[in-house]
This record gives sequence, structure tokens and C-alpha cells, in this order.
Amino acid sequence: MNDIKDHNTRSRLGSVGIYLVMIFFTVMALYPLFWLMVSSFKTTTEFQMNKLGFPKKWVTINYKDAWVRGKFPMLIVNSVIYTGITTLAILVFSAMAGFGFAKIRHKATPILYGSFVIGILLTLQSIMVPLFLIVNWVGLYNTRLGVLIPYIGIGMPMGVYLGTEYIKSIPDALVESARIDGATYGRIFWRIIVPMSIPVAVTVAILTVTGTWNEFMLINILTSSDGLKSLPVGVQKFAGALSTDYGKQFAALVIGLIPMLLFYLAFRKEITKGVAAGAVKG
Amino acid sequence: MAKVLTMADTKREQRRAYWSLVLPGFLLYIAVMAFPTIFSVVLSLTSYNGGKLFGGRPVEMVGLKWYKRLFADEYFYRALKNNLWIVLVSVLGQIPLGFFLAYVLYRGLVRARDFFQTMIYLPTVISTVVIGILWKSFFAPHGAFPELMRIFRPGYEYTMGSHPMIPVLFVILWMYSGMYMIIFMANLQKIDNAVIEAARIDGASEMQVLRHVILPALSGVIVVTAILAISGSLKSFDLIYVMTGGGPANRTSVLSIYMFDKAFKGAPNYPLANAISTVMVIISFALIGLTKFAENKFGGRE
Repeated sequence: MNDIKDHNTRSRLGSVGIYLVMIFFTVMALYPLFWLMVSSFKTTTEFQMNKLGFPKKWVTINYKDAWVRGKFPMLIVNSVIYTGITTLAILVFSAMAGFGFAKIRHKATPILYGSFVIGILLTLQSIMVPLFLIVNWVGLYNTRLGVLIPYIGIGMPMGVYLGTEYIKSIPDALVESARIDGATYGRIFWRIIVPMSIPVAVTVAILTVTGTWNEFMLINILTSSDGLKSLPVGVQKFAGALSTDYGKQFAALVIGLIPMLLFYLAFRKEITKGVAAGAVKG
Repeated sequence: MAKVLTMADTKREQRRAYWSLVLPGFLLYIAVMAFPTIFSVVLSLTSYNGGKLFGGRPVEMVGLKWYKRLFADEYFYRALKNNLWIVLVSVLGQIPLGFFLAYVLYRGLVRARDFFQTMIYLPTVISTVVIGILWKSFFAPHGAFPELMRIFRPGYEYTMGSHPMIPVLFVILWMYSGMYMIIFMANLQKIDNAVIEAARIDGASEMQVLRHVILPALSGVIVVTAILAISGSLKSFDLIYVMTGGGPANRTSVLSIYMFDKAFKGAPNYPLANAISTVMVIISFALIGLTKFAENKFGGRE
């Protein structure tokens, strides 16, 4: 009897311990972001006196200043354009290629598809310099197209890989019977393949949106005009330069993180699923 | 009325459909990824340093000159060493931590799984640029970190200046552990729950279940995450670029930052930068080989 009671107390203690550990990690994950948000409502003078506590007076002037001076409306519009077009193009092109690889027999498939699979493991960093040189030669340096084409190309391997593997699972009989009924491949693509590939399209879209929205290195190299910058580059240029004006800097950072935060909270199930699917392959 | 197709017509239409479906994506991929990769290897063997490729200054083949230069540069080794530090933090920090968190959530040892998972993964989705500037301000000599330390240890002196890599490694640990948690979660969910239940009913303790059921089932994933840690280290650029720019005195530089400096900071040295990128490609391909080997050895993808 005593044994069981002892065991229960011990397991309850263990359970409390695990809760404490999990709460510790959650606080660790959230505290810096919480600190940032609280600090963004202090004036710079107050921040220098009081770095950790709550502001004595909550001010919103930092946000007004940063919003206008950091040109955030334009940055957000640019980021929406880059992310939207890139995602749409990757979805269409990888569904097309996936359809071709998965449902039309052709002797070129092993080589072409194989090269996409290798591409998943190529690192973006290793093509940064040659890509910069090529974009310059073809005259696309500092243009929207010069950002979009690399973005789309970089997303293709993962999109094609996930798309092909998924479309393989659509029964061949569906495609064949549509062919016998006289449907063209174009019609089969739009009427059968696209509607049935929605689940994998969601995964690819999630991976592309998060990747493109946060992309910083390439767009930083490939553009120089203010008007072409995306949100991360704008935040870096604006907030990174404000080394002592903490109030504005923190407000700019909060503005920079809010779109992704909302996107994450809205699609967290799909995001974690997509990451698990993408990461292990990548 | 369905049109009657002859065999030859069908074949031709099939071929045409195949190429029009596959080519747009393939050409984009070749233009943006495959060609630059190969091109970078070629340029690293030449004297080409910007300007017109044809008609400008004649481009000479110089063999392995830039590689010799690279392997004689102490900054290359410094960057490589920092890459290895990042791998070490991933393998000894993020992977065990990610596994622990995933295990606790998967076995239902706490309630509110969804809440914990959502919050712990949160740092991973936020733009690296925001994260980098945030932590740079936090760890600044007159920032919040020294202040926070003084609450726990009065009289704390700021010493991060002499170990500039420590804040960087800490932020990497902070930011990406959630990713490994998600990967382990996804793979834990594939284990047949009946096996675990049966083991528990037969009197196996939580630790025994972990050792004899769960860890063996995950051996493949653990290997793949370790490889992922290496490729992740090669990919690290944004965070370090924003937090420290590789400084002070290149002490937090990694290969990608080192390459960026050679190509875009001061007088450009494209051939040398291309040699660095070729070294990175070779490491990547070695990793592809290693992944294939691990898959064969430990069985199955995922």
C-alpha cells in the first residue's frame, strides 16, 4: 500500500517538474519578443533608464515615427508583391512539372526529376555570387523581375519534389479514362490534377510564403533602390541604422514581425506540417 | 463526339504535352540554381573579376591559384571553425532539446500540447532580420542583458565582448530548436501507438519504452537531423550578418559571410568568392552522399 502511495507522489512530483521545464522553455521562447513589444512603447530616454520594466507612460509616438520614416506601407506592399507572385508561379510550375513527371511516361524523366531532387540540397548561399554576376549581365540588376525569377527558380526543386510525389498517388485510371474520352492534357491538368492536388499545394504555398517573406540575403544583393526593397531589407536598413534611437528601432522591429506572427497564428497547423514535410527532405 | 486519335498522333501529343508541362519549371531551375552552381566552379578557376565576360579584359585560366590562396588564409579557417561551432550547438543542443520537447508533447506528459508547441516554435517563423537586431540590442554592452544578469548576480560585469560567438550561438539555439521539435513530433506520430501501449501494459517503464521502442524507431531521423544541422550551418547568413556582420575582426564570421565580404565588401574578389562557394557546394554534395548512405543503412526516408 505504502509503495503505491509513494509511487503516486513521486509521479505527481515528476509531472510538476515536467510542467516547470516546459513553462521554462515557453518563457524563454517568448520573453525576448515580449520584452521587445513592451520596450517599443517607451521613449528612448525612458528605455535608457528603465530597460527591463514596464513603461511608466505608454507612448505610441515610436510607431507613428517608424511607420512613416521607415516607409513601411511601401515595404509591406513590395513584400506582398514578391511573395504573392513567387508563390503563385511556383505552385503553377511545380504542379505542371509534377503532372508531367508523374503521369506521362517519358525517358527523360529520371534525369530531369533527379536533377530537381539534387537541387533540394543545394544551398542558396553557394550560388549568391554567380547569381549576382548573371543577373547583372542579363540586365536585371535592381529590377523586380531580377528578384522574382531567382525566387521562383529557387523554390522549384522543393515544389516539384513534393508535387510529383503527391500526384503519383492520384490513380492513373482517372487520367487514362479522361484521355479515352478525348480530354486534352491541358484540360486534364486543370480539371483533375489541380483540384486533387490542393493538400500538397497548401504545403508548398506555406513553405514558399514563409521562405520568400523572410528572405533577406538575395534581395539585399540584387537590388539597390529603396523602392524595390522588401520588409526584411527595409527593417535592416532602417532599424539597423538606429543604433541609439531604441524607441523607433523597437517599433520598427515590431512592425516587421507582426505580419509573419499573424500568418503563423492563423496557419500554425499547416505551417508545422509543411515544415516537417519540407525539412526532412531538404 | 470524341475525336479518334491514331497511335502516332497520341504519341506526338503526349510528347508535346510532356515538354510543355515540364520545361518552364526546369528552365527556371537550371537558370537560377544548376547553371550558377556549375558556373561558379568554372569562374573559381579563372582570373575573371567583374565586367564583361567577352570583349573586356581577356579571361585566363589560372588553375587552382584561388584555392591555394583560400587554404592559406587564416580567416577561412576562422570562418570554418565558427561553422563547426554552429554544427556542434545543433547536434549537442538543438537536437537533444528538440527531441526532449517533442517527446514530452507526444507522450502527453503535459496538457495544453497545442499551446506549448505553438509558443516554442514561434521564434522560428519570425524574420531572421528582426530577430538579429532584437538580440543585438538585447546583448549590447548597455542593453538589457547585463541589467538582467545583475538581478541574479549583483555586480555582474559584461564580458560578452571577449566571446562574441557566444551570443550568436545562443540565438541560433533559441531560434531553431523548435524546428527540430517539429521534425521529431512528425516522426514520433508515425510510430504505432499500439506497440507503446503494449509495452506499458507489460510493465515497461517510461524510460524503457523510450530506449527500446522509440529511439530505435527514430534512428534514421536522428541521423538525418544531424546532416540537416550541417547544411543548416552552411546556410546561416542572415542572422550573423545582421547581429555582428562577422565582426569584431571576423571573429563571428562563417563561410557564407566570409564569401560575402570577399565579393561585396571593399574591392571585389569574385574568383576567390567563387572558390569559397565551390567549397560549400562540395560540402553540400558530400552531405547528399552521406544522406543516401544513411538512408540505405538505417532504412527508409523520414
